[in-house]
Amino acid sequence: MLRKLLAFLSVYYAHMTVYRGEILFWLLTGLAPFFFMAIWVEAARQGLTDRDPLAFARYFFFVFVTRQLQVVWVTWTLSEEIRSGAFAFKLLQPLDPFWHYLAQHVAERGVRFPMIFLLLLVFLWLYPGALFWVGGGRLFLGLAASLLGFLLNFLVAYALGLLALWLEEATDLYNAWYVFFMLFSGYLAPLDLYPQAVRGVLDLTPFPYLAYLPAALWSGEPVPGVGRGFLVLLGWTLLAFLLARGLWRAGLRRFSAMGA
Amino acid sequence: MEYAVVAEELRKTYWVAEKEPGLFGTLRHFVRRRYRRIEAVRGVSFALRPGEIVGFLGPNGAGKTTTLKMLTGLLYPSGGRAEVLGYRPQDRRPAFLRQITLVMGNKAQLLWDLPVLDTLRINAAVYEIPEAEYQKRVRRFASMLGIEGVLTQPVRKLSLGERMKAELMAALLHHPRVLFLDEPTLGLDVNAQAAVRDFVRQYARAEGATVLLTSHYMADIEALAERVIVIHEGRLLFDGGLKGLVERFAPYKEVRLDLEAPLAPGDLAPFGEVVELRGQSARLLVEKPRLTAVVARLLAEFPVRDLAVEEPPLEEVIGRVFREGRVA
Repeated sequence: MLRKLLAFLSVYYAHMTVYRGEILFWLLTGLAPFFFMAIWVEAARQGLTDRDPLAFARYFFFVFVTRQLQVVWVTWTLSEEIRSGAFAFKLLQPLDPFWHYLAQHVAERGVRFPMIFLLLLVFLWLYPGALFWVGGGRLFLGLAASLLGFLLNFLVAYALGLLALWLEEATDLYNAWYVFFMLFSGYLAPLDLYPQAVRGVLDLTPFPYLAYLPAALWSGEPVPGVGRGFLVLLGWTLLAFLLARGLWRAGLRRFSAMGA
Repeated sequence: MEYAVVAEELRKTYWVAEKEPGLFGTLRHFVRRRYRRIEAVRGVSFALRPGEIVGFLGPNGAGKTTTLKMLTGLLYPSGGRAEVLGYRPQDRRPAFLRQITLVMGNKAQLLWDLPVLDTLRINAAVYEIPEAEYQKRVRRFASMLGIEGVLTQPVRKLSLGERMKAELMAALLHHPRVLFLDEPTLGLDVNAQAAVRDFVRQYARAEGATVLLTSHYMADIEALAERVIVIHEGRLLFDGGLKGLVERFAPYKEVRLDLEAPLAPGDLAPFGEVVELRGQSARLLVEKPRLTAVVARLLAEFPVRDLAVEEPPLEEVIGRVFREGRVA
């Protein structure tokens, strides 16, 4: 298993380095949190919120980081491979194609990380003193939430991608999921600024735990109900896993290796 | 195991949405979709013994690829039974998948932007081939195919022939016992075709592998297969030896003529079916019972410089089988 993992990660890392330019541009299209950062920092400077301007800067920087950890494109890949018939080659192997796609995403992070590090330096130059040591516990919990969030995102994207077995093209389905993510994950504003009633509903959905939870943990914000948050996130991840497995089984019967 | 591959009354039916061209057709398609039932394979039966190399012939749309996909587990049969090495292919059991391969001449499994060795490395991991054995197989296959020098080049930089050879390497790295080859020499030049054929022959002989091969190049079939299965419109037309195919569907000989002076079209019509007439050269098919008489008359009536009697090319035999659609 270890040999398999190493081979996959090393080859797919090499594969992703070929697309390093594209990954850089993709990363730049994910700079939206910096714009929201600028807006909210200015609002704080003008005294429109109780928060400190640096607290906003810190929060949105970590929203950006956690989002970068969770980027997925497996819906597009599945749609493409199913439509062209290339998916057939993966089905001929005695290994679930899931592992190929997951390894590609993990390897891609290896190319993306150095670029994020450069942006960290820019951030530190723009907002000196914004970052501080929040403690090992918060760092670990934030990382765990981010990684679990990545897994949930990946499983949802994978399940939606499998719908291409029926629809032939499923990329826009993931875009619909992304819209909900944008609105309800804390991507536009910290969720504690949302009305209480809205938060009550959102807390049952997976979205607050994809961006708000890790960003708040890393930026030192008070985060009530961390344990419950992890449980909800785990529950949604499990649900997405079951959905993906169900669609995989049903989809295989449907697959006709189109275009081959 | 008596048979490595069994197809018994194998059937596959699709429903395909039909759409008229233009705006009206698009709107109608949107509101009221019409479907057409396609019977791609209609009850095909055959069996391959372990180690056999069999040519699988048929015109485009005959159902060859659909049959191969059912035998590799990519498609669920609509009816009948498929069995490969004792497994039901559609169950896709790992032990089954480890022992088969499918090569499609018009599809690539190689990672496009990376050197061939990277795809081979992935496949070695997937099939859990020990490192020393992996190195040995890569060296052996590369040497057999003559592509040792290109394994570290990105796949997109390779020629079509080199790419196809590399595809074969990737497909056979795990030493499959059953090879399904769908047009493996498609678009290749004569030398590359020969190299691919030699490789398949050597591999099958060394490993005792069973091979089911489709190709539009009769040279592939003649070089590799002693037995051929012919299907047309989803039905089996013929299953037997190459020689038997020629005897059964070509009860004629080919007469090649080289004349002193050009002939007019129609001059040779009474003697047989004129396949080609180019200036002073002609080829005609003559029914075997009439052959001696026809040759004697040709020599008597025309200024013949040279005359040869041969078996007709396999392409023409197959073409004739398809045109006539004769069921075995």
